[in-house]
Amino acid sequence: MTTTTTAAAPRRTDPRPVTARTRRRREALRNLAFLSPWLLGTGLFFIYPLVSTLYFSFTHYDGFSPPTFVGLDNWKFVFRDYPFFWPALRNTLWFVLVMVTLRIVFGLAVGVLVVRLKRGAGLFRTIFYAPFLAPPVAGTLAFVFLLNPGTGPVNTILGKLGLPEPGWFNDPAWSKPALTLLALWGVGDLMVIFMAALLDVPKEQYEAAELDGAGAVRRFRHVTLPHLRPVVVFSVITGVIATMQYYTQPIVAGEVASGHIQGSGQQFEPGYPERSTLTLPQLVYNLGFQRFDIGAACVIAMVLFVLSMTFAAILMRRGSGFLEVD
Amino acid sequence: MKRTTRRRLVAVTAALALPLAISACTGTSKGGNSDNPDADVTILFWHGWSADSEVAAIQQTIDAFEKDNPNIHVKAVGNITDDKINQALRAGGSSAPDVVSSFTTNNVGQFCSSGAFVDLNPFMAKSGIDPSTTFTGPQLEYTQYQGNQCTLPLLGDAYGLYYNKDMFAAAGISEPPKTLSEFEADAVKLTKTSGDTYSQLGFMPNYHGYESTTEHYAAQWSPTYFDADGKSTAATDPGLKAMFDWQKGMVDKLGGFDKLEKYRSTFGDEFGAKNPFMTGQVAMAIDGEWRGGMIDADAPDLNYGVAPFPVPDDQADQYGKGYITGTIVGIASTSEKQNAAWRFVQYLTTNTKAVVDFANAIHNVPSTIDALASPDVSQDPNFKAFLDIAANPNSNTTPASPNGGAYLVTLQDLGYDYESGKQPDLQAGLQEAASQIDTDIDQSK
Amino acid sequence: MSPQVKARLEWVAVHSFAVACALLFVLPFVFVALTALMTDEQSLTTDYWPNPFQWHNLADTWHTPGFSIWWRNTLVYAVAGTALTLISSIPVAYALARFRFRGRNLAMMMVIATMMLPPQVVIIPMYLVWAKQLHLSGTLWPLIVPLAFGDAYSIFLLRQFLLTVPREYVEAAKVDGAGELQVLFRVVLPMMRPAIAAVGLFQFFYCWNDYFGPQIYTSENPGAWTLSYGLQTFKSAHHTNWNLTMAATLIAMAPVVVVFFLAQRAFIEGVTMTGVKG
Repeated sequence: MTTTTTAAAPRRTDPRPVTARTRRRREALRNLAFLSPWLLGTGLFFIYPLVSTLYFSFTHYDGFSPPTFVGLDNWKFVFRDYPFFWPALRNTLWFVLVMVTLRIVFGLAVGVLVVRLKRGAGLFRTIFYAPFLAPPVAGTLAFVFLLNPGTGPVNTILGKLGLPEPGWFNDPAWSKPALTLLALWGVGDLMVIFMAALLDVPKEQYEAAELDGAGAVRRFRHVTLPHLRPVVVFSVITGVIATMQYYTQPIVAGEVASGHIQGSGQQFEPGYPERSTLTLPQLVYNLGFQRFDIGAACVIAMVLFVLSMTFAAILMRRGSGFLEVD
Repeated sequence: MKRTTRRRLVAVTAALALPLAISACTGTSKGGNSDNPDADVTILFWHGWSADSEVAAIQQTIDAFEKDNPNIHVKAVGNITDDKINQALRAGGSSAPDVVSSFTTNNVGQFCSSGAFVDLNPFMAKSGIDPSTTFTGPQLEYTQYQGNQCTLPLLGDAYGLYYNKDMFAAAGISEPPKTLSEFEADAVKLTKTSGDTYSQLGFMPNYHGYESTTEHYAAQWSPTYFDADGKSTAATDPGLKAMFDWQKGMVDKLGGFDKLEKYRSTFGDEFGAKNPFMTGQVAMAIDGEWRGGMIDADAPDLNYGVAPFPVPDDQADQYGKGYITGTIVGIASTSEKQNAAWRFVQYLTTNTKAVVDFANAIHNVPSTIDALASPDVSQDPNFKAFLDIAANPNSNTTPASPNGGAYLVTLQDLGYDYESGKQPDLQAGLQEAASQIDTDIDQSK
Repeated sequence: MSPQVKARLEWVAVHSFAVACALLFVLPFVFVALTALMTDEQSLTTDYWPNPFQWHNLADTWHTPGFSIWWRNTLVYAVAGTALTLISSIPVAYALARFRFRGRNLAMMMVIATMMLPPQVVIIPMYLVWAKQLHLSGTLWPLIVPLAFGDAYSIFLLRQFLLTVPREYVEAAKVDGAGELQVLFRVVLPMMRPAIAAVGLFQFFYCWNDYFGPQIYTSENPGAWTLSYGLQTFKSAHHTNWNLTMAATLIAMAPVVVVFFLAQRAFIEGVTMTGVKG
């Protein structure tokens, strides 16, 4: 049966034509609806406080009397006269270069090890991951005692083996390595994602490489590593993020190792020993919450911000293939 | 301009202006002293004591106060550190404390200059209390800043020399040293090395050795820390320089910094049962009057004695002085029950019986002139030595400063650098410390 | 050497190495556990074996005043925080993965920038607002409320996962007349389960062990402390109970370790699915 339309019949029009504009508006509303919590959150918890921090950095404010404008005084103080700023900056860079790198290498090594296990893989995975779940204060305390230069088991064993006994958390040359050991102990989170990536490498590629006569090392370099590149990039990014925020472990380690008793009237000594464990977040806390100097604390917060965003920009450029929007 | 561009501009400007506007209103939390102290109220009291015996002692004092003042109820919270105090005072609100007590005397300058605590002078005037006849000179000094008496002493601490009588007898020393040269000689005599460490150390001079700190030593020289203009005298005061030199000399004579540091890392917790003086790892120690109570509890067989810490040879006639500090108590400026709070603070700090009982209970030095002279104070000879130090006219303390103990940290850091050899030039270090202290104080104004 | 022997030797080598590593990893826990069972005096000495065993330390710790409150607070923070994070982050991740709109790239940059933002940068004004203007310091609200607005890290991971969902699934559902929200709920969400598990667990662990947040916002009110902050309360002005601190550590860690052990399959699968691995 054929249907015919006569030329004279009126064209049926939808009372509300769905024009492109209406559709776009609907889409825009829909987008807004989905994104609104995050938009609001970004405004409230990112943009607003950031502008506030910048504002306070130009004021003298102790939290009690209203802030007074002092221009660049706080900035000059932090960069020129504050003896803890530059050591903290150097330490942060040290941690980024050494701790992040070692964690990735070690996490990969442990991941490689665990994927080779068949029996009891679940148990091993839990053992290697569990330290990551330890409360940071407790883990640090445990390590400070294990690495106590005089009475700790590690030095006792080293001594019996005739090896040198480093001062660990009491020696400025060894305190950052000691913190790195603590961080390596908690490498579980990296291990898990490396494992996921390693398990995902197609077996055929390994077999093909083997057929071509490649040994284990070459297989690793040419088959495994390229597949791991996105994970490595991701680990570097998260590692740098964590390093920028590194706060609990160094502050607890410094306090406990120095024997400082909180609230006993003794002076708080930032970065024991000899400022070697100072990080920028600790200075924000010390200036803002202990020394009543919110202005200077905000200067350090701004430095932390610029530093983090710089790293973010660098890493995004490098890892752009991974983070691209399609 | 194009609609979208203008929209964007408006959005960006609003995004920036709004936060600025909000930042500017930082909110204030001010209390008042118009409350009726005879009305039925509950006040919140924060303090730093935490050991069971100490908490029981403060509770006894509170109970006695509530008996005398049945309309005022005191709710006490212990184990409070200064971080929490600072935060609570800034925030204000109903859960903020009315009366606060802290061990960190160094923060008094900050508390006063920022207005966190109220000036107690008007309250004392209204109650007819003359501070200069009620409290000793040093006690008043560490509780006020530039005339603002924002705290009062709530029991004091005095520092002296603890010595192990058995070790003294074994080394043939008949009485505790009075001058620093005697002290040095004794310390060397009492030191026995064992391999590359010690089996007994005469005295731990290193600045991390618990109470062996720059300010505790310095008191023996009666230094001035600031001149009349509030500038640091670190570079010019002869006492400070002499103290640093003396300490370095002690470090060198007793075996060198590294060896001492290694030995120090074997020390147990300062306030635990394994305190080095109590375990016999050191023969002499500088410590506060509370140590006696701990020895009695955890090391009752220790045969020890107490004496004032030795004085420099050229100040031998001032033997008997020592470093004075103490716990402080104040009224939060955010409190709305300041009159009721004052009744409590007045009782705590000036009621002789309350002060004496509390002092005896927690083994601290009473903090009023009357209490020091009271016959009810514990007459234990080891404790009496500290009472004498506290009452000695030459005993001194560290002055308050507007940025808390920051200047002490600076001097402390110099000490660490000098004793370890990191800073070989003491005068240059003192110069640097002085200018750092001045800059820090300028920053905090 | 025959390939079988070689394989056997390799098996032995790998396993012994794994056991050695595992022992090293477990050593600090052993120390924590042993210290937890010691008397206070013994806890700082070189005597590493408890003598005598103080099994009651665990009970004592549990009965420390406030301990059950910290436990409850930690649970509230972690559970509410995780739930709110997921509820608010999933739609955002979905929008960023599926919708095309002007400013999408900018939004993505903002997510990444927020991810890289240390909390210490903004903590001071945030604290001042919560404490001075809202008078909510000393409570858990400042910790939980921000999570109701999405968490950048979670958004990022979920979005990565959603990018791997083929368009055909979504288009097919839409042809059936479903709106975006329905597509999300009926089609995509069920597919996302492992990814949600992974992201949820990340957030849960983060909240459970968060120290900086509780230190800033709850320290003035012991009734609001969480376990990670309360741990250091066994340190008082004059004394530290190391044995009880370690006992508290064990009690605080137990649930998260158990959760991981039970959920590790889903966890790893989820990590895989978030496309982190590429």
